[in-house]
Amino acid sequence: MDYTNLRRQIISMKKSLFDQGYLDEQFNQLEELQDDSSPNFVDEVVALFFKDSSRLLTNIEQALEKYPQDFYRLDSLVYQFKGSGSSIGALRMKNECSMFKAHCNDRDLEGYRTLDDSSSIPASHSLLEQLHLIPWLTQMPPVTPEDKEGACHSEAEAGDIFSCKHKHQIKGPVST
Amino acid sequence: MAGAAAERKVIRVLLVEDEEIHRVLARALLRSAVGGVELDEAGTGAEAVRRVRDGGAGAYDLIITDGKMPVMDGHEATRQIRAMGVTTPIVGLSSDTLPPDVDTFIKAGADDFTPKPLSKEKLVRILAKFNLA
Repeated sequence: MDYTNLRRQIISMKKSLFDQGYLDEQFNQLEELQDDSSPNFVDEVVALFFKDSSRLLTNIEQALEKYPQDFYRLDSLVYQFKGSGSSIGALRMKNECSMFKAHCNDRDLEGYRTLDDSSSIPASHSLLEQLHLIPWLTQMPPVTPEDKEGACHSEAEAGDIFSCKHKHQIKGPVST
Repeated sequence: MAGAAAERKVIRVLLVEDEEIHRVLARALLRSAVGGVELDEAGTGAEAVRRVRDGGAGAYDLIITDGKMPVMDGHEATRQIRAMGVTTPIVGLSSDTLPPDVDTFIKAGADDFTPKPLSKEKLVRILAKFNLA
């Protein structure tokens, strides 16, 4: 397997998430907390986020379908979503949640973009699924001189490995 | 109280948080930032009040509490803990960070507030503020 290219693409993908404002410094904190005693810490926290977010997105969608809308419940659900996302450094998603909460407080969701909008909470959440690839970086063979040349691939190329992962149903890193 | 904790070199912390992801993060941060820590966790404000009541006034050196939780939120838990005469430093930790949100915690009796997510820098600041580092 071409680990050099794989590593480079995952690094590029990660950089892209930071450059586009989807991730912030908090994600680096997670990586700093990963050590020999917690070798899968990042994977564990990211998995918890997606476990929470899957449930919360469903609950938010169900709450939005009700009329009259229960703004207290919506606010509570988005509060949880915002907190969970902030734990992994999901900056853009956190900001989307803040805007949504502000509209809940005003009892007016008409001014907020619909859940189908590309800049909405679900869209930001969907981009973050690339984070499942990050733990692969710690499972690969040591860095080679080629890796140290840096990643300069396009976002589309970085996305290729993600599509490949799902296409071939490659299992994630082995837990130790 | 803080002096005794420094001598003991083991910090007793009560984390009041209902969501697993925040507990996992806080455990890792406390482990990395503090030389020795005994961590208790409560999933609701009611459980936190019970732990403090059962443990006595000196049970903990620091209490970090979320705001919104089921059964009893962190603001009410803070009020009840203060009503018991407990002076342990209490820090509110919440995603709601507007001035009225912070004010609610302080008026309930919290000594400080920090927005989620908890980070190494925020934890170091809290520990230093209450002389627990």
